Amino acid sequence: MVKFYQHTSSFEHAWDNVTYAFWLRYPNPFASHVVGCDVIDRQVDPVTGVLRTTRLILKQGVLPRWGRGLIKNPDAYIIEESEVDPRTQTMVTRTKNLNHVRVMQVEETQTFTVHPENPKWTQVKTEARIISELKWGLTGRVEAFGINKFMDNSVKARKGMAHILERLRQNAALAASAPTTAAAAGVAASDC
Amino acid sequence: MSSSIGEKCTQIKQEYDGCFNSWYSEKFLKGDATPKCDDLFFKYKECLLKTLEEKKLDTLLADARKDNPFPNSAASSASPSSGSSSESSKKN
Repeated sequence: MVKFYQHTSSFEHAWDNVTYAFWLRYPNPFASHVVGCDVIDRQVDPVTGVLRTTRLILKQGVLPRWGRGLIKNPDAYIIEESEVDPRTQTMVTRTKNLNHVRVMQVEETQTFTVHPENPKWTQVKTEARIISELKWGLTGRVEAFGINKFMDNSVKARKGMAHILERLRQNAALAASAPTTAAAAGVAASDC
Repeated sequence: MSSSIGEKCTQIKQEYDGCFNSWYSEKFLKGDATPKCDDLFFKYKECLLKTLEEKKLDTLLADARKDNPFPNSAASSASPSSGSSSESSKKN
């Protein structure tokens, strides 16, 4: 079973801010299952100037009760790879689960560009594949769970980013009006 | 603030994150890619690699990255402190 998904959305924030928020997005109130996030590798390509990053994300507490027969290890690891090209103002990110792949593979690619209709906004194109190859009559239930989880996670991810972006906007507004207060407020911005 | 997957690494990670965030917004996005955080990253990765080995994530990661290299990348060179297997430029 392979399911494809495509969606285009936008943030009413500049591309610079959106890509910056991407690094800061954990923790946020919509991502309670994320318990750890690490940069595994990061480098700037000396020729193209593209920043390539690989991060490892650990989620806990996402398994439904009926899943415990299928999955022994409740820890879910996700690998996130990204490329940021400041010259073309394009960021591409790809996330996929690292474990539990025999049950389900979820791979999502997002492309962040300056919005074609408003240079102060950012457009996000999302494509995802959900693959499950389970047998023994489990596929239907797992598939439904996987798709619902994916849709839920997509909504939470958007809300999480929007939350961080709003905080950044507020910090910037504070900085413009009262530099000393802003310094303290800026510290509150979280990062991963 | 978000933690590291390896609890012992959280502090050095957050130091590195602070450095990266400043570099990213004040330098990189403005066209200056001169590295500023390499020393911190080196220390952070040293700690992280131990964690990955302890949790047996190092092979899991290496296999995942080998099977399906992220598009648009040239083969990524291993950073000095990286103990993971060589990055593959195998094309499908």
